Amino acid sequence: MSSSLTFYQAGEGWIHRLNPVTKLAFVVSVTVAAFGAEDLWWPAALFVLLEVPGALAAGVFGRFVKLVFGFFAPFLVILFLIQGLTFPDPGTVLAEFGPLAVKTEGLLFAGTTALRLLVMVGAFILLLLTTHPGTLMTAMSQAGLPPKIAYVVSATLQIIPAFQERANAILQAQQARGFDIGAGGALARGRRLIPLMGPLLLGALTEVENRSLAMESRAFGASVHPTAYTIVPDSTAQRAARWIMILLAIAAIVLNTLGVL
Amino acid sequence: MGNAPATPAARRFPPWLLIAVGAAVIAATYLYLVVWRPESLVGGAGVGPAALIALVGYLLGSVLIIAGAMVRMPTSTVTLLPIAIAINIVAGQINNMVGLPLYLDSIGTVLVGVLAGPAAGAATGALSNVIWGISISPASLPFSTTQVVIGLLAGLFARYGWTRRILTAVIAGAVTGVAAAVVSGPISAFVFGGANASAGRSAIVAIFQALGIDTLGAAILQGLTVDPLDKAIAFLVAIVILRALPMRFSQRFPFARTHSVFSPRTRSVLRGGARPAEGEGVLASPDPRSQGAGATRGDARDADGPAEGGRS
Repeated sequence: MSSSLTFYQAGEGWIHRLNPVTKLAFVVSVTVAAFGAEDLWWPAALFVLLEVPGALAAGVFGRFVKLVFGFFAPFLVILFLIQGLTFPDPGTVLAEFGPLAVKTEGLLFAGTTALRLLVMVGAFILLLLTTHPGTLMTAMSQAGLPPKIAYVVSATLQIIPAFQERANAILQAQQARGFDIGAGGALARGRRLIPLMGPLLLGALTEVENRSLAMESRAFGASVHPTAYTIVPDSTAQRAARWIMILLAIAAIVLNTLGVL
Repeated sequence: MGNAPATPAARRFPPWLLIAVGAAVIAATYLYLVVWRPESLVGGAGVGPAALIALVGYLLGSVLIIAGAMVRMPTSTVTLLPIAIAINIVAGQINNMVGLPLYLDSIGTVLVGVLAGPAAGAATGALSNVIWGISISPASLPFSTTQVVIGLLAGLFARYGWTRRILTAVIAGAVTGVAAAVVSGPISAFVFGGANASAGRSAIVAIFQALGIDTLGAAILQGLTVDPLDKAIAFLVAIVILRALPMRFSQRFPFARTHSVFSPRTRSVLRGGARPAEGEGVLASPDPRSQGAGATRGDARDADGPAEGGRS
């Protein structure tokens, strides 16, 4: 609960200064490339050759490793346990324990899936570590994202920390009255969510009316495209780079389907 | 520069067209992956192209639905969305903190679906997982299509009056849960290899696989063990919350007003408030003779709302 919502780590490197849309294009094309090819080493290469140097160049390597593996380690264990022991398709059996069997294909499946997810999560975390969410939304609006969607995304990112604070306050208030969240079975725990969720949800929804009145009085939703206060720098080179990255991702898939890669 | 034509193009098409195309893309992806299931889907060494098709098809469909639903959304609904999405995310995290084997991350989606209709519900669901994905847990991003289906169904069930009573709302939630499990199956099987962050839920997948069911089937069956209960709770919580709020809150949403998605009490009060103006106009034009008949009709209207429709 106490974890802050943004991963952003301030910095001055060239990766920090890139237009966020360029970094987003990198995330998309790297993910597409990782999922598009079947070879086990391909996503591993993407991770080691693109994302790790990227994190090093941006000076966020420590937090990058911590976040990626903090998120990834439990998932990895579970994935290898499931597909390593109970892979349902026929395959070469390496070892058998009653109904469970370790199969080469199962391990390969788990390995490919894990590496692909590693690339996807790594690219995302790299983007979030080097890009402030506000800058990301401004750049997206400049690139043509409708203002309503931009509002919803940035308003949510602002509301959630306030929400978490309020949830913590409610939790502490209820705990001060002798409320114990940890104990009991699933049903008892579920019932104990009510005194937490009730005040939180009712309080939040009563704010909606004021908000929409305030926004309508400021011409929100008018058909004129609003001008931006901050302009995120962009360049022809970056615009070209985005297209090249997307084309490279498509090329990776085509080469893979043709059996080259 | 390249995106200048985007806005006029979006205006030229009616919003429902984008929503329909998005829904069609999602349905086509699903049919391709699950029903038609080509031989090469789970190929040689890895998983073949299934994961990429699932990711791209589902996300593309969700983006089209978001775009279509947001174009003409009134400001009152737009301001509800961030709150609803925050409810989804924070409730999901509280759930993880307390350690329940559920998700509880679709209460806000159901809220918006019931208040503002299927399209708004679908957009809330999709944006909810997109925002959760880009802020706290990237793993929830691919599941945005599941939330699209939840929001869509919540709106449709509300449209046909299932949310007026607690019992039917809970049944609607369970049905939505079945749909959610079926839709999320390919993502959880092909993209995540059947595993997820919860050890308990992953163990269920492992048990089904050990019984000889393939990864996709095991993922769908695992969803069926959790999702119906989870969505029934989401519907229950959403309806209870909306009933606890002052009635003027829900009356601000045209969808909730026209389809009278809440209790019959709301409906009769509404009709009583909205109709008399025109009803009295009709009654006032004939001579005072009909006054007695008008009074009786008024009483009948108070007794049961919908019966008053037949006026001559």
